[in-house]
Amino acid sequence: MEKIAVLVEHRQNEVRDITFEMLGKAHQLLEGGGEVIALFLGDVSQKGLLDQITPHAHRTVAYLDSNLKDFEPLRYQAAFTNIFENVDCQLILMGQTAFGMDFAPAIAAKWKIPFTTDVVDIEASEELHAIRQMYSGKVNAKVSLKPGEKMLCTVRAGAFPAEDIPTVSGELQEITGAIEGDFSARTFVEYLEAAVGDVDITQADIIVSVGRGIKDADNIPIAQELADALGGVVACSRPVADKKWLPKERQVGTSGKTVKPKVYIALGISGAFQHQAGMKGANTIIAVNKDPKAPIFSIAHYGIVDDLFKVVPALTEKVKELRG
Amino acid sequence: MEELQQPLPERLDLFTCIQCGKCTGGCPVSIKSPLNIRRVIRESTVREDLHIFFDRLEIWDCTTCSTCAIRCPRGLRPVDAIIGLREMMVEEGRIEKTIIDALDGAYKYGNPWGRAKNKRAEWAQDLEIPNALEMDPGQVLYFVCCAASYDPRVQVVAKSLVTVLRAAEVSFGILGNKEVCCGSEIRRMGEVGLFEMLMEENMKNFTKIEPKTIVTTSPHCMNALKNEYEGLDSEVLHYSQFVWRLIEEGKLSFNTEVPMKVTYHDPCYLGKQNGVFDEPRDVLKSIPGIELIEFGRCRENSLCCEGGGGRMWMEGTGIGKRLSEVRVEDALEMGVEAIITACPFCLLTLEDAVKTTGNEEKIKVIDLMELASMGLGVTPEVE
Repeated sequence: MEKIAVLVEHRQNEVRDITFEMLGKAHQLLEGGGEVIALFLGDVSQKGLLDQITPHAHRTVAYLDSNLKDFEPLRYQAAFTNIFENVDCQLILMGQTAFGMDFAPAIAAKWKIPFTTDVVDIEASEELHAIRQMYSGKVNAKVSLKPGEKMLCTVRAGAFPAEDIPTVSGELQEITGAIEGDFSARTFVEYLEAAVGDVDITQADIIVSVGRGIKDADNIPIAQELADALGGVVACSRPVADKKWLPKERQVGTSGKTVKPKVYIALGISGAFQHQAGMKGANTIIAVNKDPKAPIFSIAHYGIVDDLFKVVPALTEKVKELRG
Repeated sequence: MEELQQPLPERLDLFTCIQCGKCTGGCPVSIKSPLNIRRVIRESTVREDLHIFFDRLEIWDCTTCSTCAIRCPRGLRPVDAIIGLREMMVEEGRIEKTIIDALDGAYKYGNPWGRAKNKRAEWAQDLEIPNALEMDPGQVLYFVCCAASYDPRVQVVAKSLVTVLRAAEVSFGILGNKEVCCGSEIRRMGEVGLFEMLMEENMKNFTKIEPKTIVTTSPHCMNALKNEYEGLDSEVLHYSQFVWRLIEEGKLSFNTEVPMKVTYHDPCYLGKQNGVFDEPRDVLKSIPGIELIEFGRCRENSLCCEGGGGRMWMEGTGIGKRLSEVRVEDALEMGVEAIITACPFCLLTLEDAVKTTGNEEKIKVIDLMELASMGLGVTPEVE
């Protein structure tokens, strides 16, 4: 492979990490030869953002226009035509992001380029292969192309490192020219910031979750200490959030959050169906409950039938000991 | 769908509201929530833009119990204004993730928990229940629906009903994995289109097998099938009605004494919305040993448990004490050993409340069919 194009993604005047992840992967695929081409669509006022891009691409093709500050699908599609006509490449990378998921299919359809979504890896030995996950990550599919075809991939965020990207002496090519058309069907209105929550339990790898068995708000620190030792966060079942012992944002279940951590430790949670529905996807479920008939044991991989006030401090101590 | 395009006040005739306030006066959640249904009606008729409601979390506090509709002297259905606003929110995607998940699950897998379709009939795998699709027309179809199919706690109710039906030698079948959610909760969360899809899917099978009677586990499904499914000719009964008929016809009697002092909690969708007050009580009273004491707030005045109207997936403001806890405390004061109910959602919310109020040793929540099964000498148990 000789030429890979990467679509720069920016939001609210910041270049997003996915851009660097894709640039890094492009360099790795080309192994020092070939050309990495960055494609940039943006407002004239955003020209400064290019300083972050040009050092990492052999060529940066930028189309600057006064209406391209924020992503608008129709206007961006029209603008893309202006730069893409100047670019020849075998592979085009875009982010599997809200932006890319909207934009890439339209581009693939318009230019009739074979398209692979949510790619977690790309191989380019003899042939070009994109790896994507199926069945909730249980299977990896290897997508290959007929020789001589181009491919457009949307790349999963975080699949490749954003650091240590090779620096090259890149040239900047600015494209001018008007874009025409009626773009009023879908226009940018405003950015809605996500509410600043306390802890996002859906992002945690390790969750220590407490149920009614914790007995009192004063006992929450026992669970917190275990979570801290493990580098995890504390979550809870509905009754605990009901009693306001923990904020509602920490509640797991059908009327709360759905979590899929690597480890879910259920302390004093009986495990009603509504709770299970929010956590049964966890890789490893460890339950501590006094009641051997508690439904949580039917889905737990490991179970301890005992008093959590005996088990948890011992567990915390052991974890601290092992982690030094 | 054309109806939907009419603005909400016109569609629901809200301009005829006289603002008497009987709706809010009877609304069970208005005790604790900022939801003021009279005011919602008023505002929806004078505001130019109904988007002002979109940020009001209390719109999701409504359990759609329909007390407001029973009390309205003008015969309006204030509850439908709430559902109408939810429809607008769904339409514009202004809904919480938990609701999106429930709708997504119902769309993809035919149940709001997103559980596998091919596990729908797993609860019945040892029971050898005939496949309704292979039965002759004019038979009894047991419509199980989602909670009873997937929730281990409610599966016990379904199994108990099977015990009772078999004791009365009723021949009946189930749709198994071909059944999908009745859509009642989906509609009340505001997704009318998805409700219609689910209805069509079920109607395909109903039309194929033309059952004489459809018996449901949940009053919510009964209400949807009976009052909202278009073109369904079969008789639709909640199990309490069907079982009482079996007793009246002399096909079923209880042979085991169950000495227990109980009260009966009227599910809103059974009582208030469909007028089924007597049949569950009649079934109760025909079980030997049962002493029934009524709640102060019973029948039309029954206090909602807060399990309906999408509340299993969306908490709303979450302000104040849960009404199910009030219900449990009332029952304890009456000195009963168990609250009997006839709805999966009531069963789950009340049982939760027994736990959260720390009264597991003092009172039980039992479904009417579990009690009936005990009256036949079979003690049901959660697996």
